[in-house]
Amino acid sequence: MLRAVLAGAGAGGAVPAQIRNVVWSMRMPRLILASLVGAGLSVSGCAFQGLFSNPLATPDTLGVASGASFGAVLALLLGCGLTGVQLSALLFGVAALLLTGISGKCLTGSKTTTILAGIMVGSLFSSLVSLVKFTADTESQLPAITCWLMGSFESAGYASLTIGAPAILIGCAVLLCLRWRMNLLPLSEDEAVSSGVNIRALRLIVEFCATLITASCVSMCGQVGWVGLIVPHICRLLVGSNQKVLLPVSVSVGAAFMMIVDTLARTASPKEIPISILTAVIGAPFFILLLRKNRGWAL
Amino acid sequence: MRFEVRDGLFRYPGGERIVLDHISLSLEPGSVLAILGPNGAGKTTLLRCMLGFLKWDEGCSVVDGTPVGQMSPKKFWKRVSYVPQIRQAPAAYTVEEMILLGRAGEVGSFSSPKERDLAAADAAIKQTNLESIRHCSCARLSGGEYQMVLIARALASEPEMIVMDEPESNLDFRNQLLVLDLISQLSHEGMICVFNTHYPAHALRWAGKALMLSKDGGYRFGDSRRIVTEKSISECFGVSAIIGSLETGGGTYPDVIPVGIEDAGVPPVQGDDNVIAGISILLENTENAGLLNRVLHEYADCLIGRMGVPYRPADVHVIHPVPLPRDEFVFHPLRRADVSDLRRGIVLANGIRDRKSGIDVSGCSAACQ
Repeated sequence: MLRAVLAGAGAGGAVPAQIRNVVWSMRMPRLILASLVGAGLSVSGCAFQGLFSNPLATPDTLGVASGASFGAVLALLLGCGLTGVQLSALLFGVAALLLTGISGKCLTGSKTTTILAGIMVGSLFSSLVSLVKFTADTESQLPAITCWLMGSFESAGYASLTIGAPAILIGCAVLLCLRWRMNLLPLSEDEAVSSGVNIRALRLIVEFCATLITASCVSMCGQVGWVGLIVPHICRLLVGSNQKVLLPVSVSVGAAFMMIVDTLARTASPKEIPISILTAVIGAPFFILLLRKNRGWAL
Repeated sequence: MRFEVRDGLFRYPGGERIVLDHISLSLEPGSVLAILGPNGAGKTTLLRCMLGFLKWDEGCSVVDGTPVGQMSPKKFWKRVSYVPQIRQAPAAYTVEEMILLGRAGEVGSFSSPKERDLAAADAAIKQTNLESIRHCSCARLSGGEYQMVLIARALASEPEMIVMDEPESNLDFRNQLLVLDLISQLSHEGMICVFNTHYPAHALRWAGKALMLSKDGGYRFGDSRRIVTEKSISECFGVSAIIGSLETGGGTYPDVIPVGIEDAGVPPVQGDDNVIAGISILLENTENAGLLNRVLHEYADCLIGRMGVPYRPADVHVIHPVPLPRDEFVFHPLRRADVSDLRRGIVLANGIRDRKSGIDVSGCSAACQ
């Protein structure tokens, strides 16, 4: 296999074309996708937790992922192409965040209110997803939608990567550049304003980038739960809460975690296991263990 | 820097009630202002209006002649720092990381703190004595420590004015003193310090200026000794209080003791209670006056003051006429119970002789006020 990789890079001996094909047009895009999604979801998890100064805030709890799922599923139902699915996911992801923001008054309301609003918005979009499933054609569309919803990297290919990856990369890059300043986000309104920084602009940029990343991830591989919650918290336990260090570490840990989970999903059983199931099965116990050891959680 | 509020008026949006009614104040470099007032009188609102978190409906805050509304927020916050009321730490930053956030206005958007910022944070850490906990997580600090961290964060931006919302309210005695002493230290360095407090005694001891709000939107502003009086406390808080001072070897400390709620029928306290006992000794002949002065000098340790001029700091000792042998006048430490004796009225002493020195100062009359 290593030889195949080298051969692809133009530096190895002869390798059967079939193997080279498998490595370069199936495994490689899949690995790239998994690492991008892992990194992206972890970074946006960090950002959302800071934005709402709530350790439970994730793309899932704020309804962004559900909104993006609904957008993607709707596009699948209408038979749009890949671009359509991704744009629609982004659109509804932003819509869901706005809805959560407005109903929870995210800039002034309490942390709990925001999370409650996020859960409401999330369940609203989940039921809309159910509605789409209900109306979908049971023979062709429904299996595709269901499978997609559970999250899979199976469909990974360079075509979908070229549409989704730049959005994730740009979002991550902007957040990484802003990472020290993102430390201001959990502060109370007056404190943040008194730092002399234009905190509203910072919030808007971070919100937009995190939503962009989440929606792009969802549009490429469905709703992969847990990563946005577990990885930032694991990283906090490892390196502390300073975003300057936390964000880069989350990128690497998130990418590594996702690649490992995807490899397990591919190899653990003859039939591929949906990725969400694995992240939850691995993540939840690990997370509980960490929490018990750390006696509680915080930002 | 000179900070002013000119004719500031504020009412809550939609509400008819005027919270702050045409407030004017002016602060020079190095002045300390304590803002007092009952709960709900608008102490925090006043701070927030002064800093521009809330917009004055009329009037404005002014920095060196420029209205705050005309300054860029960045410029304003470079010169002014704000310390909020302590709540739970927002995130488990270490003390050092938290204090560095005070430099956010100086650090570029896409950048992290540079050497200059680290040095400023370091100076703030030293000034607040936080070296020993600089790597601890803010989530694990005690209230007093966290308050100091927030003050240090405010100092890290090297401001000319620092505004604190109830910095000592939830702290124990020791931490209260740490915070208040830091305030006077900062003011000696020329910084303007403004703080909200629930303790009139703190205003008397640590603040040169005081602003007392009452619930009807009225206010009084001026030197704290003129503002914090038994009358004003009774009018603004509805509480009858005694203002006095305790004299000890280390100095004189003002104190305010709330006696009771006035609505409940406790009459307001009358009189000037700064003085424990005042004795006027009227002498008919000048020779005796000279003798008495010699005695008084000899016993300067026991005396708090004479003719308005303080003697050496003394324990609570006063000259006390004991009329038992009618011709003798004895100095001895004053006991609490004696104060009422002294207050009773005029004591006449025909012959005054000190047992130790044998000086006779007859012909004096001592009057107790």
